[in-house]
Amino acid sequence: MYIRVKRNKTTYFVQCDPTDTTLDIKQKLQALIDLPSNNQRLTLVATDVVLVDSMTLAEQRVENDAVVALTLRKDDNEFEEIYIARPEDFMSFS
Amino acid sequence: METGEENTRKEETVKLISAEGFEFVIDKKAAMVSQTIRNMLTSPGGFAETQHGQVTFPEISTPILEKICQYFYWSLEYSSGKETEFHIEPEITLELMMAANYLHT
Repeated sequence: MYIRVKRNKTTYFVQCDPTDTTLDIKQKLQALIDLPSNNQRLTLVATDVVLVDSMTLAEQRVENDAVVALTLRKDDNEFEEIYIARPEDFMSFS
Repeated sequence: METGEENTRKEETVKLISAEGFEFVIDKKAAMVSQTIRNMLTSPGGFAETQHGQVTFPEISTPILEKICQYFYWSLEYSSGKETEFHIEPEITLELMMAANYLHT
């Protein structure tokens, strides 16, 4: 299976298994965004639930093709707000 | 930091960019489902895309490009024997077919 991890205008397709933990996913993302797992937060968009590092995707009802929001820790140690850009806002009418 | 997964390295991914500048980071082996992208990534020296691992599609809108990426992953699973259906919304069918034709997908 795969999940779609979204932040701003970027979507990461991450191949994974239902038995993978949230931490496993963060470690895969770490290779792509060069930020350690403890500076990442993942939120299942459908339910707005923050995913717990030690739990598996299956336990948290994260299914194939699910959309998960990525937020990063800011300089003040807080996490940023979830922001996923919508294509409608960027359509060109040329 | 080790991740122990060969498919998580940056070099194993490719970035596809839509008309509106949205970026989709997918595994190279998924992108290779498209013969057009495969040619871009594997042709010796020809494409700048080969070096940067990133391909821009000014003609393909964001929802269509996302659907295509979903199709790549579906196709990988299907070819490995998992028979599920791939759902396509009727209203995007034409645009999707035009993009698929271009991508030889």
